[in-house]
Amino acid sequence: MSGELTTERTPHTVVAPIIEAHDIVKRFGGVAAVDGVSIAVPPGEVHGLVGENGAGKSTLMRVLAGILTPDNGSVLVDGEQLEAGSARSALEAGISLVHQELSLVPEMTVAENINLGFTPTRAGFTNRREQRRIAAEALDEINVSVDLDEPIARLSVALRQFVEIARAVARKPRILILDEPTATLTPAETDYLLDMLQRLAERGLAIIYISHRIPEIFRICDRVTVLRDGKHVETVDIAEIRPNELVSKMVGRDLEQDLQSHREPTAPGEVVLSASGIRAHGVNGIDLTVRAGEIVGLGGLVGAGRTELVRAMIGADVRSAGDVTVAVDGSVRRINSYQSAVASGVAYIPEERRTDGLALTMSVSDNIALPNRRRLSRNGVLLFGRIAEFAKRLAHDVGLRPPEIRRAAGDFSGGNQQKVVLAKWLGREPDLIILDEPTRGVDVGAKVEIHRLVKQLAENGAAVLVVSSDLPELLELSDVIHVVRDGRIVGTLSGIDADEQSVMSLASGEASGSAA
Amino acid sequence: MTVESTVEVGETPEPADPEVGVEQQDFNALEWVSQQGVFVFTALLLIFAGIFIDGFASVDNITDVFNRAAPIGIVAVGMTFVVISANYLDLSVVAQVATSAVLLIAVSNSYNMLLGMALGLLVAIVYGIVNGVAVGVFRANAVIVTLSTTFVGLGLLRWASGGSIYFGDPDGVIATFGSTEIGPFPLAMLVLILVTLAMHFVLTNTTFGFLVKSFGSNRHATRLAGVNTPLVVIGAFTVCAFGAMLGGWVLAAFSNTAVSSMSAGFDFEALAAIIVGGTSVFGGKGSVLRTLLGVVFVSALTNIMVLSGYGFGYQQMAIGALIVLAVSVDALARKVGRS
Repeated sequence: MSGELTTERTPHTVVAPIIEAHDIVKRFGGVAAVDGVSIAVPPGEVHGLVGENGAGKSTLMRVLAGILTPDNGSVLVDGEQLEAGSARSALEAGISLVHQELSLVPEMTVAENINLGFTPTRAGFTNRREQRRIAAEALDEINVSVDLDEPIARLSVALRQFVEIARAVARKPRILILDEPTATLTPAETDYLLDMLQRLAERGLAIIYISHRIPEIFRICDRVTVLRDGKHVETVDIAEIRPNELVSKMVGRDLEQDLQSHREPTAPGEVVLSASGIRAHGVNGIDLTVRAGEIVGLGGLVGAGRTELVRAMIGADVRSAGDVTVAVDGSVRRINSYQSAVASGVAYIPEERRTDGLALTMSVSDNIALPNRRRLSRNGVLLFGRIAEFAKRLAHDVGLRPPEIRRAAGDFSGGNQQKVVLAKWLGREPDLIILDEPTRGVDVGAKVEIHRLVKQLAENGAAVLVVSSDLPELLELSDVIHVVRDGRIVGTLSGIDADEQSVMSLASGEASGSAA
Repeated sequence: MTVESTVEVGETPEPADPEVGVEQQDFNALEWVSQQGVFVFTALLLIFAGIFIDGFASVDNITDVFNRAAPIGIVAVGMTFVVISANYLDLSVVAQVATSAVLLIAVSNSYNMLLGMALGLLVAIVYGIVNGVAVGVFRANAVIVTLSTTFVGLGLLRWASGGSIYFGDPDGVIATFGSTEIGPFPLAMLVLILVTLAMHFVLTNTTFGFLVKSFGSNRHATRLAGVNTPLVVIGAFTVCAFGAMLGGWVLAAFSNTAVSSMSAGFDFEALAAIIVGGTSVFGGKGSVLRTLLGVVFVSALTNIMVLSGYGFGYQQMAIGALIVLAVSVDALARKVGRS
């Protein structure tokens, strides 16, 4: 593949790739996160890497940087193969990765952070002068001015991001990899960063740029590689593709088939959830209503503020502004705390099932009993017979396999664990159920069963709110889809009209406005 | 930029066959030792001591072991709630035991016994609330909080008592209680057994006990089930404080004296009993019956050392080493069990 690439971009000047990856495979417990991907980037090129959440972009980049050891395939710099899974070998070859999560030490200064892991020493002591010189040079290179002695904790999120890049640049890389560097930046800061990357590329660096944001890809990239479900879809010259085509390639499934599986819309009932002016960390003023019998979907990219929104609405996290009410059978209750939400008939299936959803060391039966303890006890004493009967019935309803309610929840597979989380809340017969990524990390069979349960809940008159980054799932379940970006609803689509492309376009900022 | 990483790596990979919902369970020897070992070790220790240690099996010695085991046992049984709630331990039992003992004897001497007991109860409630609020509401570290409340509590007690030793009325109810025996069993032992059974019921059969376990297993999931979790933590520390109060009364009765320094070492001996019994310091799992067995083990070990001529220094070393060993096995078992 590399041979063909060398002539592809600039036919008049044949440039050999500086970095190549051949046939990379990386599995996590049997699931291939990256499945036979090859990529080659010549010096001076900004190479975009796009794909949906879970497409394998970050995993591939971690393989390139030697952080993960691939199960198959090799990484070459200047035609020389790197030691697999050796971060040092990658660094020495000139590969620098700007991490997705900020990896700076908040208590240490800018200069100390830029040199972190490579602190210059003299006779065993930190050479402070050299440390400052290296830091100043790196910041100068990316044209950012910041006090070298300022602790990171006192910098804005954007400045921290730039320090992170300076840290990568200080290693004098020849290949710079950036993973969603603009996720936390404002438009002006993003502009600045993109200009900076272009300047670095002009100086001969090869840059691999991961982003969900289509406009950014079109602005700075020379070529773009699309990944989907861990597989390499296509590498194209940016001049030869239009934004909507790129989005289709990212999404790429049989759209006709997805439309068919959309559920029959039910006549919505009374408004159950009514939220207005919600503001919280990552949420910038959102209004939302969900009616009885209706499934409302929240689409958007990971980090768009959907989880933050639902958690702030129901009081699981702090809300800085906004009103939330839940109306059931004519009685309207204001939601001021998570406990008041649960007491008002709200069920919340959190995103992180292992840390937030289940007590893994406790039995399935205990987990199911937890939110239902009041009806399973008398005067504070547990009624074991009733608990066993109750748990057995719900485990059967959700199709737990094997149906062994006395086993620890942690012994079950992800799909079955998720069924236990559902069983906990189904037992309360909730009037409003909020599901955050209900089938993440769940096998296909369990996914179908969970979808069936969610639809059944709506048919029985519950108001349902689903957060999902899984587009086919969102389309299959939702009557209405609100697309969230940067903590705001940027578009609302009816479940019938929506397709993967329209949701993705709104989510990535390629299109804007309401299409409903 | 804290987005998406967990999605990309697909954090919980699934078994390929959805029918096989449960992972294979391999035998974990370390887990067996940390969970079941106490039964074997206690039995071996008692058999060994019965055969090889002169005087261990005598009625007088057994009564003595029980008398010493009872107050620590009662404290340990209460503290088990704190450990199961994944809040490590309550170091302030040292201050609580001494305070309740001094109040009982001193107030009995000057006023009457019931007032002394009522004040002890009040103190226990205050300790439960202060420790519980700091840990449960403010989420402060339990070790540091209870280390500090020990300091405050003991300081207060020394200031109030002037460090004096209080002697009870040799013919009073307290002295009589402390010296009554049924066969080789002192009355204190009966109190320990009753307290253990009552606490066992609370832990296994009540909603409160269930929530303590659930909180210890996963505090986030418990909160998200709509539980008022700070109240659960306050409850666990209050149960512990009741145990310390009763332990203080039994301790005072046994010697018919009380002094602010009388409960030194109770924190670690109680912890040793809990951990050796097999209750995990990671929380969520454990039982007060196990703690009772742990108390038997620790008390027998201490007694054997006394009978063999190893003094207090050696005993301290043994208890310390035992805790390190037990928590290491517990942690290792968990690590092995995960991988």
